[in-house]
Amino acid sequence: MKKPLKNMNPTDVLGKVIAISHSNLETEARINSILNIIAQDMSFDEVLVYTLDSDKLLTCRFMNSRSKLFHLLNQYRSRVGEGVVGSVAQKRMSQHYTYRDVPPRFGCLFYPDLNGFIKKLRTFSFLPLSDDSYLYGVLFIGSAGTDRLTDADKILLSIFTREIGGILRSHQLVVSSKKRISELATLSELGRVLSSNSEPRTILGNISFIITKALNAGFTTIRLGHAFIKLDSQRYTCGEIDTTTEKEIARLEEEVKRSGKTASSREFLQDQLQEAVAAFYTAPIASKDRFLGTLTVGGPRSVAGLAVEESSRYLVETIANYISSGIENSLLNMKLKDLVDELGKAQQRLVEQETFRSLGEMTASIAHEIKNPLVIIGGFTKRLAKKARLDQTENRYVEIILKEVGRLESILDEILNYVRENPMLLRGCNINDFLDELLYLFASDIAWEKIEISRDFDRDVPLVPCDDQQMKQVLINILVNAYDAMHGAGKISIRTEQKQVGSHPFVTISITDTGGGVDPKIIDNVFNPFFTTKERGTGLGLAISNKIVMNHGGHIEVNNVTGKGAQFIVYLPQKNSIIQEEIV
Amino acid sequence: MKTMRLLVVDDEENIRFLFKEELEEEGYEVDLASSGLEALSRIKESPYDLVVLDIKMPGMSGIQTLTEIKNTNKDLPVILCSAYGEFKQDFTSWVSDGYVVKSADTSELKQTIRSILGKT
Ligand SMILES: Nc1ncnc2c1ncn2[C@@H]1O[C@H](COP(=O)(O)OP(=O)(O)O)[C@@H](O)[C@H]1O
Ligand SMILES: [Mg+2]
Repeated sequence: MKKPLKNMNPTDVLGKVIAISHSNLETEARINSILNIIAQDMSFDEVLVYTLDSDKLLTCRFMNSRSKLFHLLNQYRSRVGEGVVGSVAQKRMSQHYTYRDVPPRFGCLFYPDLNGFIKKLRTFSFLPLSDDSYLYGVLFIGSAGTDRLTDADKILLSIFTREIGGILRSHQLVVSSKKRISELATLSELGRVLSSNSEPRTILGNISFIITKALNAGFTTIRLGHAFIKLDSQRYTCGEIDTTTEKEIARLEEEVKRSGKTASSREFLQDQLQEAVAAFYTAPIASKDRFLGTLTVGGPRSVAGLAVEESSRYLVETIANYISSGIENSLLNMKLKDLVDELGKAQQRLVEQETFRSLGEMTASIAHEIKNPLVIIGGFTKRLAKKARLDQTENRYVEIILKEVGRLESILDEILNYVRENPMLLRGCNINDFLDELLYLFASDIAWEKIEISRDFDRDVPLVPCDDQQMKQVLINILVNAYDAMHGAGKISIRTEQKQVGSHPFVTISITDTGGGVDPKIIDNVFNPFFTTKERGTGLGLAISNKIVMNHGGHIEVNNVTGKGAQFIVYLPQKNSIIQEEIV
Repeated sequence: MKTMRLLVVDDEENIRFLFKEELEEEGYEVDLASSGLEALSRIKESPYDLVVLDIKMPGMSGIQTLTEIKNTNKDLPVILCSAYGEFKQDFTSWVSDGYVVKSADTSELKQTIRSILGKT
C-alpha cells in the first residue's frame, strides 16, 4: 500500500541516496541499499534493477530486501526488445502502467507465470538506466497501491536512475579494466615466450637491460658457458662494473658453476673485500641436464640496496630460471631455423637442377627445332619482297615481319649459346662440400633409388677456383650419363684427389659407373657436339661440360674400367693464373 | 669463267629450297642432298667446288659426314651450317673450312662461300 507522498521529504531521500551512491561500499551493496531506500521512503513493494550484460541479455540482479518477485525474476533472462523490460531497454523511455493496462509480458515471461505475487501489484513503472550513449539496465518499480506516480516522484526517480546508472557504469569500467590488466599480463607473458624466437644474443642483451631497470640494480651480467662458443660474445652486461668487482664476479661465477647454487657476494667474499666491491648475487642458469651460464645482479651498496637483501636471492634465482628456459627455446628455434633454411636451400637446388636439365639440354634442342622454321619464314619473306615489286605499305609489312624474325632469332641464339652467354663467376670452392650438396639432390630423387653412390673424398683437398653453378651442370651431365649407361640401376663411385700434372697441381673428381663403359670405337667422339648414341640424346651434355671445364683451365678425361664401366675424371687446376685475383 | 658447283646438305626440305634459290641468285650451280649418305654418293658421282653441310641430321650426322668427306676429298671445302652458335669456334679451328649460324639473313653464308671460293 502506497503511503501518501507528503510523509516523505524528497531532499532527505535524495541526500541518503547520494551518500550511499558515493560511499565505498561494493557495487551490489550500494545499489541494494539505494533500492531499499526507494522502497521504504517512497512506499514501493518491488524495486528491482535489471542489468544489461555483455551478452546483450537483461538479468534481474539487484533488489530491495522485501522483494518477493526477485527470486523468480532473476531465474529468467530477457532479450532487449522482449516484454516490457526489454522494450524499455530498447527504446530507453520510461513506461508506466496500472494492473489494467499492463502489457501481457514482463520480459521473456507472461505475467501469469509469475505466480500470485504479481497479482498483488497495482502499478508498474519501468525506467531505463542509461546515460547519453549507453544503456546499463532497467529499474522496475511495482506497488500494491493504486496511486499513479506523481510528476515529483518521476523527477526524483529520474535522479535515482542516473545515480544507479552511474554506479553500474563505473562497475563496468572496473570490470573491463581488470580484464584488460589480466589481458596485458597474458600479453606480456606471451611476449616473453615470443621474444625467445629471436636470436640468443638479442634476447640476452634485452634481458640484462630489463633486469637492471626492473630491480633498480647497478648492473646485470649474464655469462654463458662453453655450449655457446658459436655466439659472438660470452657475456652480456648492462650497467657499469668496476674492475675489482669484475674479478670477484668472475670468481663467484666459477664457484656457482661448480656448486650449481645461487650465492651472494656477502657469503662469498672476505670481509675486507666486501667493503671494496659492489654487492651482488650470482645464480646458475641451467636447464634439466646442463649448465648454460650464470646471471649476476648487483650494484654499489648505496645504490642497490636490493642486491644485498636476502629477498633478492629468490628473485635473481627465478629470473635465472626464466632465462634458462628462454635460452633453451631460442636454441631450439635456431636449430629449427637452420633446418628450415637447409630445406629451403635443398628446394632451391632442386629447382635449379630442374632448370638446368631443361635449360641446358632440352631448351637447346627445342630452340634448335624452332630455329629452322624461323629461318625458312624469314628467308622466303625476303625473297617474296624482292620478286614481288611491293608498294610502300606492303614493304612496311615485310620489314615488320623481318624485324620480328630477327628478334626471335637473337633470342634463340642466346639460348643456343648459353655457356658463352653466361660469364664465369669464380670462387674458392671446396669440391667435397660441393659434391656432398649435389649428391644430396640425387639421394632424394626416387628415380635414383636403385643407384648406390659411394664417396671416397680426400678431406684435405684445397679450395679450387670454380663457378659452382656451371660446375654443377658438368657433374649432373656426367652423373646422368652414368645413370643412362646403367639403365637406372648400379653403382657410382665418386672420388676426390689431388694430382700433379707436370708442374701443375690439380684437384680431380673421378666418377666411375658400372654401365659397361664407352664403346672404344666411339670413345674419341663423346665430347663432340651432337654426338650421341641415344635415341633421344642431344649429344650436347659432354660437349658443354667439356667447354665449361676448359673455361676453368681444366680438362675431362675418359677411361674404361675393365669389367665395370666408364670413368670420367674432371681435372680442376688448384690455381688459375689468369683469374687468380677474382677469386674470393 | 666456269660456274662454281655447290652441294647443299640439309634434312629440312625448305631450308634446301631457300639456300638453292639464294645461292643460284649469286650465280652458283646448286645441287641438293637430304642426308649425309646422299651427299657422299653425289660427291662420288660428280665434282663440287664447295659443300654446305647441316650438322644435326637423322642417321649420319653432319660431323660424321664431314669426317667422311675429308677422308676422301681432303681439298673439298665444307662449310658447316647449324642453328647452334655455341660451337662455332671449335669447328672453324677444327676440320671444317667455315661455320655459319643459320639465319634468315643469308648474307653471312654468301660471304663465307665467296671468301673461300675466292681463295681457291
Ligand atoms: N658413362 C657413360 N657410359 C657409356 N657411354 C657414355 C657415358 N657417358 C657418355 N657416354 C657416351 O657419350 C655420348 C655423349 O654423351 P652426351 O654428350 O652427354 O650426350 P647424350 O647424353 O645426350 O647422348 C653418349 O651418347 C654415350 O654414347
Ligand atoms: Mg648426356
